[in-house]
Amino acid sequence: MKIELKKFGEMLISRPSGREAFLAMQSSLLKDVKLDELIEIDFKGVDVLAPSWADEVISKIAKEFKNIKLLNTENSSVQATLETLREYSGLEV
Amino acid sequence: MNFKIEKLVSEWMENSVVDVENKSDYYCRTKDVFEARLYKMKFFLESKKILEKDIPIIIAVIGEIGNNSFDHNIGNWPSVVGIFFGFEIQDDVLKIILSDRGLGVLKTLKRVRPELHNHKDALKVAFTEFVSSRAPERRGNGLKFVKSNIMTSNFLLKFRSGNALTTVNKIFKIEDNQENLDGCLAIIKVNI
Repeated sequence: MKIELKKFGEMLISRPSGREAFLAMQSSLLKDVKLDELIEIDFKGVDVLAPSWADEVISKIAKEFKNIKLLNTENSSVQATLETLREYSGLEV
Repeated sequence: MNFKIEKLVSEWMENSVVDVENKSDYYCRTKDVFEARLYKMKFFLESKKILEKDIPIIIAVIGEIGNNSFDHNIGNWPSVVGIFFGFEIQDDVLKIILSDRGLGVLKTLKRVRPELHNHKDALKVAFTEFVSSRAPERRGNGLKFVKSNIMTSNFLLKFRSGNALTTVNKIFKIEDNQENLDGCLAIIKVNI
C-alpha cells in the first residue's frame, strides 16, 4: 500500500499536526495492513518536511511495520529530515 | 544595514504586552498564526525566485525554532504568550528573526537535566544532545537538525538565551553574552 504524504499537506512541520496525521492513518490507511506488508511512503508533492512532523509519522510507521520503502525523497528538507531521524530517532529505513 | 525587524524585536523583548500586541504583523500569539505566516514567507520567496534551492531547508529550520517556542512554553508562558516572527531582505541579505519571552532554554531543560546550572551548558545540550524537556515524550531532535543544516548551508544563526550566545555557521560555538535575555532570540542571516 502507498501513503501519499502530500495528502496531509505540502508543508509538514509541526509535531501536533504530525501526531494528528498518524492518528488519521491508524484509523484508515494503516488499519488493516499486515505487519510485514510493503508500505510505500511517497514524498512527492511535499515542499517542506521538518523532523518534528516526520518523527510523529515516519518514525512511528517504521517502528510498527517492517517492510518500508521511501519514494521521491529528492527534496532537500526531506533528505535532511530523514538523516536527522536516522541519527537521533533510530530510523533504519 | 539597519533592519527594521531588529529594532522591532528589541522593543518586543522589552516592552509591555499592549505594545507587543500592537506589532500585529510580527506577533504570533498562537502556533496557527505562526504557521500561516511561515506559509506566506515560503510563497513570497518562491514568487520572487529567491534562494529557490534553499527554501525547503530555510522553512524547515524556522519551523523547528518557532514551534519549539510554543511546544516548550505551552501553559507556562511567564509573561507574553506567543512569539515574534519576521523576515526582511536588504542588499542581498535575508534576515529572519524569531523571539519568545518564554522560560528560556536553561529553565526548560532543567526539568529533565536538574544538574544544569548555566545557560551556556544548557545551550550546548540543546544543540548537541538528544534530550527532551517533555519527557516521557520521545522528542528533541529539532535543534540538532537546525545546527546541522545551518552548518552545511551558507547561513548564519545567532541564538541567545539567558546570558549565553550560540553562533552557528561553518563552526559551532557558545559563549557568554553581556546582556541577559529572558526567553529565546534567534537571528538567521542568509546571503542571497
